[in-house]
Amino acid sequence: MTLNCHPTTWEERQSEFVRREIEVLLASLSDSVGFNDLVKEALTKNSSSLSARTIYVRQWALLPLMVCESVGGHYEQALPASAAIQLLMAAGEVFDDIEDADSSESLSGKYGSAVATNIATTLLILAERAITLLKGRGVADCNVVRVMDAVNSLYAIACAGQHLDLTITPEMAVSEDTYLRIACMKSASTPECACHIGALLATENQELIDKFTIFGRNLGMASQIANDIQGIIRGSDIVKRKITLPMIYALTQTEGEARNQLKLTFVEPSELVPDPRRITDLLFHYGAIHYATIKMELYKQHALDILSEVKSVGASVERLKLFLE
Amino acid sequence: MKSQALQELVKKIFGDEETKHQFLKDPDSVLSQFSLTEQEKKAVLNTHAKLGLVNSDSPQLEATFGPTSGWWAPIP
Repeated sequence: MTLNCHPTTWEERQSEFVRREIEVLLASLSDSVGFNDLVKEALTKNSSSLSARTIYVRQWALLPLMVCESVGGHYEQALPASAAIQLLMAAGEVFDDIEDADSSESLSGKYGSAVATNIATTLLILAERAITLLKGRGVADCNVVRVMDAVNSLYAIACAGQHLDLTITPEMAVSEDTYLRIACMKSASTPECACHIGALLATENQELIDKFTIFGRNLGMASQIANDIQGIIRGSDIVKRKITLPMIYALTQTEGEARNQLKLTFVEPSELVPDPRRITDLLFHYGAIHYATIKMELYKQHALDILSEVKSVGASVERLKLFLE
Repeated sequence: MKSQALQELVKKIFGDEETKHQFLKDPDSVLSQFSLTEQEKKAVLNTHAKLGLVNSDSPQLEATFGPTSGWWAPIP
């Protein structure tokens, strides 16, 4: 496979290959009334003109390629799997925006939830089609079925996690166990799935596949907690009254006035408009951000431990390690 | 992976000035007072080495959680 542009890093090169894989899938769509453009819009970052948009490849979408190569496979075999992960992530983001209904810039905000639902469904179907392309890359039928099964199983868990997140009461949400359970089902399932399929495309060693699956899960958990900390620092999660790990720590470990203020803002229905600066200061002051950072570090360490184990049996882990630095 | 001991440790460090000073001077002497796993101890020490006691003025905070760091960085 050759490239027209001149990407310099491994990530840039592989991202370009994933983009091309997706472009081929998009070309197979009927272009009735801008349908193709809307599907592409879901795969791009916001931009003023459609022609300026390029498909934005998420880091997780490169995991199947990285893991496949790490175990000695060839990245080309895993390209359709990476495209599938990218398409599934984009579908998930469109569905999330429909459920959250809080962004005028989202597909559902701009074109309505009916159109957005149809686009998200199309992305899911394209992801399934991407997996069938594995056969053309020399992947055995039984492994194509295994990839399909793994993707469907892990995304069914993600849907269950999303359901739990949507239906939980604020009181129930103030529990670290519940938070970790939802994060594991909902957020960690994507990198877990990406690593799992990357490994199974390169090896029949089930123990190795399992280790990479656990690596992906821990990577996903660390990433989710990092995302929570970002949401607090930026203030976006405070404005949305989102109960994340730092908030759970603060709600369960503070007392008196600080706790009352947090409860009034996040747990009990109130007209109180959250003051992001004040809440952020409070979370830093009581060590909530520090606690969440240690928890993130813990998951990173678990992931690093797995990499040490797979390295000892011959896997190349340097590129995967970069995720954890 | 919920950890009561980890919560207690952080609460003590951030809620008690004497413990905070002791932790900054000799982290191990404070860690030994809590029933932490080896992994938790390592995570506490790694976090301390990278960020110190995390507050809004931590110099490494932006590098660790900024929009262009780690998992959020877009691939050109």
